[in-house]
Amino acid sequence: MTDTDFTTTGPLAPEDITAESPFTLPGFFEALAEGRVVAARCTECETQMLPPRPACYACGSRAVTLSDQPRTGEVISYTSVNRPPSAFEHLAPITVAVVELDSSARLTGRVAASLDEVTIGDRVELRVCDPEDVGIDPGFDLSYETEWPVHVFDLV
Amino acid sequence: MSTAHLIAVGASPLGKTDLPGRDLFSRALAEAFAELPDPADVVDGVYVGAQSERYENQIMQGTLMAEWAGLRNVPAERVEACAAAGALALKNAVRDVRAGVHDAVLACGVEKMTAGGTEGATNALGAAFERALEQRSGITAPATYALLARRYLHETDATERDLGRIAVKNHRNAADNPRAMFQDAVDIETVLDAPEVAPPLKLYDCAPVTDGAAAVVVANDAVAADLRSRPDAVRVAGVGSAANNLAVAERDLTFVEGANVAASTAYDDAGVGAADVDVAEVHDAFTVCEALLAEAAEFAPQGRGIETVEDPEDRSAGWTDVRINTSGGLKARGHPIGATGLLQAVEAYEQLTGRAGQRQVADAETALLINEGGVADAHTVAHVLSAN
Repeated sequence: MTDTDFTTTGPLAPEDITAESPFTLPGFFEALAEGRVVAARCTECETQMLPPRPACYACGSRAVTLSDQPRTGEVISYTSVNRPPSAFEHLAPITVAVVELDSSARLTGRVAASLDEVTIGDRVELRVCDPEDVGIDPGFDLSYETEWPVHVFDLV
Repeated sequence: MSTAHLIAVGASPLGKTDLPGRDLFSRALAEAFAELPDPADVVDGVYVGAQSERYENQIMQGTLMAEWAGLRNVPAERVEACAAAGALALKNAVRDVRAGVHDAVLACGVEKMTAGGTEGATNALGAAFERALEQRSGITAPATYALLARRYLHETDATERDLGRIAVKNHRNAADNPRAMFQDAVDIETVLDAPEVAPPLKLYDCAPVTDGAAAVVVANDAVAADLRSRPDAVRVAGVGSAANNLAVAERDLTFVEGANVAASTAYDDAGVGAADVDVAEVHDAFTVCEALLAEAAEFAPQGRGIETVEDPEDRSAGWTDVRINTSGGLKARGHPIGATGLLQAVEAYEQLTGRAGQRQVADAETALLINEGGVADAHTVAHVLSAN
């Protein structure tokens, strides 16, 4: 994990918070579409936060910077969504997991495997997908979300 | 600071009903004010807990409920924290009475969850989860709690059967509660053989989709003394609340820290400890929650919350003798989201005033309520109530 070429360290100024910055969702998903998982890293306590945000929930500091994340990690917990929201209905059952990346950042995501193939501690790698290729009902996306990629974990 | 009391409670029938939200509210109001003057002569503010406008396409619930109670030109607000909305309404009412802003306030909650069927409820509840990464991964309420349950079973000695026994216990309690949505006991084999919703959680691990409303009148000393005999009012001794992270991925999956903070704050406010609590209504939206909350409320040692089903004398060392979810809990009394926190207060009121019938806990003097919203402790509101 390395700090990105975005050199901003908080407290963020208003002009730092634009759709081009991964500190906002449009900027975060634009980086993700390019294959980069960008977290906020607290320079005070080293907490890694996905998606990035302007303050650290662990210690309260606004001295956050951006940090490229590893795409590999391990399964902390998992289940199967047997009755998903209607926009995801035809994907059922959906295996989902909480994954801790090797940086210690945690995020939830789908796992491209059946439930009985997954167990706690499994190694996984994050893959970036186009929502249309996944088959999520396009009506699910809000107008500003339509270009945002979705992520999925593969067992490795 | 004034003391706040619950001086009357009411609830609608719970389950799938033919009444819309405002009419469910009317039922709860009619019961709460059965022995009181007109609401306009008692309360001068209203808080309404309501989870979502998606069920009935209606916001402005504060205005609407005030109007249906015959109140005009008074402060009336809807509050929202998903399933913690009901206790949030109570907390705000208590704050106003304690601060002397109002002499008495109506705290109510309402949800017409069956309006859009299971699909409608699933989609409406989905809005409580973090949007960017978690909603877009297709999660649901049962799935997020299954992530807690899976990890809990991994880190402790607990089994799926232990979780199932919590459902069995709460159905048994509900059978003694005339207000409960489910009046039938279930056996453990039925629970374990039920369809999986989000493994390891099965149908009976999950609270039902419920229509319902509840109303509680919160009053200061003077109003309480004027309208009720002393044993018929219950004192609000302590209040606490806390918000934890929205995304479940960023939470401790086996320790609901926000609930621990909220309960500890309420204990400190009341000047009591966990061992003083006789009865507790905790937010068992899914069976694993009851175990987690027994631990967060410091009734149980870490990893032993599943013993909530045991009689006090059969529990591990370090457990208190509290009775948990005598109402049947969210699981079996029913879980009309915005009303649930107030239904917990209704049960505590009945226990502390000796009105709990067959489920009455002898000499119950102190109650703890824990109401949560979002996944687990994304938002927690805790109250300590004391018999007068």
